[in-house]
Amino acid sequence: MAHEMMLLALQLGVILVATKLSGWFFSRKLKQPKVLGELVAGMVIGPYVLGAIPLGHLGPLFPPMEGTIPVSPELYGIATVGSILLLFSSGLETDLPTFLRFSGKASVVGLGGVVVSFLLGAGITVLLHPSVHSIMEPEALFLGTICTATSIGITARILGETKKISSPEGVTILAAAVLDDVISIVLLSVVVGISTVEMGGGSIAWGGIGQVALKAVGFWAICMVLGILAAPHLTKRMKRLESLGVIAEISFGIALLLAGLSEMAGLAMIIGAYIAGLSFSQTDVSTEITERVKAVGDYFIPVFFAVMGMMVDFQAVGSVLVFGIVFSLIAFVGKLVGCGLPSMFVGFNIKGALRIGAGMLPRGEVTLIVAGIGLASGAIGADMFGVAVMTMLLASVAAPPLLVQSFKGGSGYKKKLEAPQETDMITLELEFPSERAADFLRRSIADAFRSEGFFIRTIEGSVRSWQIRKDEVVFLLRRRGANLELTAKQEQEAFVRLMLMETLVDFQEFVDSLKSMEQPEMMGAGLLMNMFAQENESSG
Amino acid sequence: MNLHTLYLCRFRIASKQVSIASNDQWWYHIGMKIRSVLNPALVTTSLKSSTKDGIIGELLDILVAEKKISDKQKVLKDVMEREKKMSTGIQHGVAIPHAKTTAVKELVACIGLKPEGVDFDSLDGEPSRIFIMTLSPVDRVGPHVQFLAEISTIIKTQESRTRLLQAKSAQEVLAVFGL
Repeated sequence: MAHEMMLLALQLGVILVATKLSGWFFSRKLKQPKVLGELVAGMVIGPYVLGAIPLGHLGPLFPPMEGTIPVSPELYGIATVGSILLLFSSGLETDLPTFLRFSGKASVVGLGGVVVSFLLGAGITVLLHPSVHSIMEPEALFLGTICTATSIGITARILGETKKISSPEGVTILAAAVLDDVISIVLLSVVVGISTVEMGGGSIAWGGIGQVALKAVGFWAICMVLGILAAPHLTKRMKRLESLGVIAEISFGIALLLAGLSEMAGLAMIIGAYIAGLSFSQTDVSTEITERVKAVGDYFIPVFFAVMGMMVDFQAVGSVLVFGIVFSLIAFVGKLVGCGLPSMFVGFNIKGALRIGAGMLPRGEVTLIVAGIGLASGAIGADMFGVAVMTMLLASVAAPPLLVQSFKGGSGYKKKLEAPQETDMITLELEFPSERAADFLRRSIADAFRSEGFFIRTIEGSVRSWQIRKDEVVFLLRRRGANLELTAKQEQEAFVRLMLMETLVDFQEFVDSLKSMEQPEMMGAGLLMNMFAQENESSG
Repeated sequence: MNLHTLYLCRFRIASKQVSIASNDQWWYHIGMKIRSVLNPALVTTSLKSSTKDGIIGELLDILVAEKKISDKQKVLKDVMEREKKMSTGIQHGVAIPHAKTTAVKELVACIGLKPEGVDFDSLDGEPSRIFIMTLSPVDRVGPHVQFLAEISTIIKTQESRTRLLQAKSAQEVLAVFGL
């Protein structure tokens, strides 16, 4: 036990140093997303390359493990926590109203991707694999399923890094990817059911398969609805604890619980984590939770990606290299066409279709889970597992640059997003002598709102703006040069005026206290005088 | 803060006048809040003093009598300090003397009327007739200014102010606030 824990500490240390350095190199020098650097770092230091080299009496740092996962269960556990953190923060960063508005489009895109990918994946296996003759054979079914899952992890990270997560394409991709995972896992349960029966030589029991599928979809739908309804009440209760830290930590606890429950229901853990994030995303404390979760995520998420990289067995991939490359290409086409084409029917232009196709390319955790189950059940061999890993890898390597490139340029959405209704809004404008003064007052105003129980969130954009929010009450504060603007619903006009007035009264007191201060330049001069006085003493 | 300092920062209010039937949650919560903070014993329709200091003293006496504050001198000092910075006598006879003070643990408020009017150094120079005093704790987060804002919003119209000044009992005053 002590030895395993010692090894785990060493492994985590090496992973963190390697992924952080590699991530820095990829993002700063190669202008690629950090996640690629982390994946590559995992491959290089993993059990199939450097990690296998024995280090004196310690042995190899990453000894290859028996079974489908080549790293130790302890390390895999840490990586799982990383994947939960990743999906929880992806959910938190999703703009729920936009998510819901795009869920219809996402269903079209997700379903298109699944159907086309599955048929192409299974079809190419029948075509190229000598021992597979029908699309209904276990091997074809599994390879088809492997094609369907999309890794939101990689896409979410890239969209997050490039601040595109709330764009129509970004939301559609994320919503469709979540849907893809759900469909893939339902498909997996169906495929496993069919394969087990077929390999046992019996006939297929559709009733049992339907039950499994229904359970998975039911869990997803119920959690989604309950989460969205319960989260605001939950955070309101938790506010009584008067500690944002505690709120964030409990929320993550809930995410872990939901992750475990979704695994129990036969879905992947990441789906529960994502639903939890999505539920908290619309509460007024979402930014506070996100900030804290992200800080922890910076330590754990790289471990997840490094472990993904470590799973690549270069030898197994070598023997089926040609088939692997063809299969990967087919998997690409499946998503590009299967997701891109339907998206053009739901309001996106060709640019948007390309973005969505590229965003749906990455394969990850669910692909590996599907392949792992196939391998364990004997439906596919080590070579086809290698193909699955290769597809995941090639897609993950090819997708990020493609995604970053495709997101350059204008909107990919045909219609402009409707601006929020501003019929009953008022704007109060204050003009100050300098930007510095305006910024100072902006901070004081934010503090005043905080003491009334509001939460402040910075909104990225060309004009510096802040959202001030408590439950359903929302204000927008903007600074344009030396001007501050506060926009509010008309029914809150009196409150906003009083708040600004109180802040200015406070400011006046501060200005008065400054006037009574000794002149700063005299203070500065005093400091310098003392410095030279000391030197005179020492020389004299 | 004197009036002229207000002009240092130019105010511009862009507002579209629309009437809104405000029946949503925001109002509902504050309604609950007003109910829990105010009661007939905290309302007087006949303030006696004819000076600003006297009115503030009388309002504080109401709070002392109802055991809402114990250290009257401390609160008086805090309220007067706030008045020194900028008078809380606003417009149309409404004054909202208020302060943050360590002498209270939660928001307390009281209402006083003086139909004859008192010089309260109001912003529009008119004598003040309706006095709403609120005291909030210093280090507690909560809807303190929001409470003040809601009360002020209710008496925004001339009609409700007239109704208030014609009130003969505490109950009639509270009725104006929907209690």
